[in-house]
Amino acid sequence: MASETRGATDAWSWARSWLGTLDGSLFGLCVASVAVAFGAGLLQVSFGAYSMTILEAWQAVFDPKVWFSVQAWQSFFLGTELPELPKRTLIVWNIRMPRVIVAVLAGICLAVSGAIFQAVTRNELASPFVLGVSSGAGLAVLLTLVLFSSLAPFLPLFAAVGGSIAFLLVYMIAWKGGTSPVRLVLAGVIVNMVFTSLQRGLFFFADDLGVVQSALAWITGSLTGVGWEEFRIAIIPTLAATLLALAGARQLNLLLLGEETASSLGMSVERVRFMLSAVAILAASTAISVAGIIGFFGLVVPHIVRLIVGSDYRRLLIGCMFVGPALMVVADVGARLALNPAQVPVGVVTGVVGGPYFLYLMRRQEQMGEI
Amino acid sequence: MSQNNTNSDGIATANDTAAGSQSGRRDRPLVGDDVVLSYSGTDDPVIDGESITAEPGAVTALVGPNGSGKSTLLKGLANQLEPDAGSVLLDGQDIQTLETKAIARKLGLLSQESTSPNSISVEDLVYHGRYPHRGFFDSVTEEDEAAVERAIDLAGCGHLREREVGSLSGGQKQLAWIAMVLAQDTDVLLLDEPTTFLDLHHQLEVMEIIETLRDESEITIVVVLHDIEQAARLADRMVALKDGEIQARGPPEAVVTEQLLADVFEIEAEVSATPHGPRVNPIRARHDGDEHTTGDDTAEPDRAEEVVAE
Repeated sequence: MASETRGATDAWSWARSWLGTLDGSLFGLCVASVAVAFGAGLLQVSFGAYSMTILEAWQAVFDPKVWFSVQAWQSFFLGTELPELPKRTLIVWNIRMPRVIVAVLAGICLAVSGAIFQAVTRNELASPFVLGVSSGAGLAVLLTLVLFSSLAPFLPLFAAVGGSIAFLLVYMIAWKGGTSPVRLVLAGVIVNMVFTSLQRGLFFFADDLGVVQSALAWITGSLTGVGWEEFRIAIIPTLAATLLALAGARQLNLLLLGEETASSLGMSVERVRFMLSAVAILAASTAISVAGIIGFFGLVVPHIVRLIVGSDYRRLLIGCMFVGPALMVVADVGARLALNPAQVPVGVVTGVVGGPYFLYLMRRQEQMGEI
Repeated sequence: MSQNNTNSDGIATANDTAAGSQSGRRDRPLVGDDVVLSYSGTDDPVIDGESITAEPGAVTALVGPNGSGKSTLLKGLANQLEPDAGSVLLDGQDIQTLETKAIARKLGLLSQESTSPNSISVEDLVYHGRYPHRGFFDSVTEEDEAAVERAIDLAGCGHLREREVGSLSGGQKQLAWIAMVLAQDTDVLLLDEPTTFLDLHHQLEVMEIIETLRDESEITIVVVLHDIEQAARLADRMVALKDGEIQARGPPEAVVTEQLLADVFEIEAEVSATPHGPRVNPIRARHDGDEHTTGDDTAEPDRAEEVVAE
């Protein structure tokens, strides 16, 4: 009984300590992000090859035939048969909506992954891809498409496995009685270089243009053609990675004080660093498996959020979980609609917009690098 | 390779070992027993088999010239550097066998260089000191709050509480870091050059904090100090190192001698006794070519040895 009440007060004060982090700037950021994501999402479902007015799109989005249909939700979450739906509703809910939702999940994953890697390496310039994950995943994708095309249905899995293997390789190269942030980043550069060369080499073995295009879409990161199946692939790992990241926020904060301080406060730095990296890998692999390798995103988003809410990881992670999806949905609107009817991969948009923005940040800030 | 110290240290080692395994706890909070310390990638150990006992409830100062191994020895005592041989005993237990958080609840270390994000507030920084006392999902308890209050109060940085660490001066930063390590609430406190690079005001402030800790609590303090005069004024016991070897140990009056300054620090200096402890008036640096002029050399060849034997 007593322990129960104690548990309850613990849970309450735990919740309160998290609520305490939600001050003006973070709250405003979250609200603005939700608004932006919502607006961009609405644009995304309204326009396209099958044209409808905004009003019609709205009606389709809020169609009670979907909202109150158990069968429809089962189909989204479990992949069962869709119920009979009006054509507009079907297009919005079955083709355009999943793309927005997958963009949201990929945005969360990449932002969280980047934020974790930046704390683990104590380097603002770190991202899931600096540490080898992207090149490993890209190589796995190319190998599958070019050499083992019969295994194409398992592509997302292979991409994730490839990313993880590359990261482990980076970790092993960097390990010398312990790792250091600089050695990790340098090892990442080495592994990236080798794997990217191998990728280029593989392109020459592709026999038809379709394979090359499909491989290119993976390597630049694209949300074209994603559906509820991708949502089903991504939702559970996204939730898991998000919760684990939030649980590790205090460890991340302590890592920012440097290894010496962290270990003198009793943290097993190497173990914590490896486990947090595993969470970041999970998040990055999830995004890669549904959307390919979207560059610059995991680097820029945590950076923007840090400028607004500061470096406390409890606040930073929450901010990333809102800003990431908002920016990803916006970027994907650009990718799909800017050159309508032609579509470009969303990775092209994030690279083209994110690069110069990062340059701007770099010029504006006096010093950059260490958090 | 650790067995080659046959000087009077050898005797001290034997004593330490015997006492450490038997009584051990309160009277021997921190003992380094014949430790050999080296950094990975270098062949020769920095510390090659030295023993040191931190005097319980008192301040022990490690002094020595640059590169003499005093910071290395401190790192070894703090379990930040695993000894190649020998052992460090915390409350009579081999520190290697203890869990990292359990060590951090008993032993605090303030490193020489500390980095932190600029935007963290002083209060949040001090709360990090409670890390070893909290479980993975534990929230802040009243005990944590009390410890943080006490630490901030002791370090005298209450007025900085809400400030961002990045906006503080070097001296103010150091006070914030000291508050963090005090919040850890340990019996043993190791400080690595806590006054270096600070202005005089903050140097004195840091020394006052250490004095308060000694006078008003049972904390055992080991501090590395660059300034030998400061060390003499602050410490109850001093340990002087050169080239990774302990050259002298004992009360400040016995350690800070003209002979020791010549041998260990390679300076010629006048030492005079004052109420604040020995006062050092440096005259000039000694060089290898210098004759062992000062007659004292022959007159008191065993002086340092005597101190060691103590």
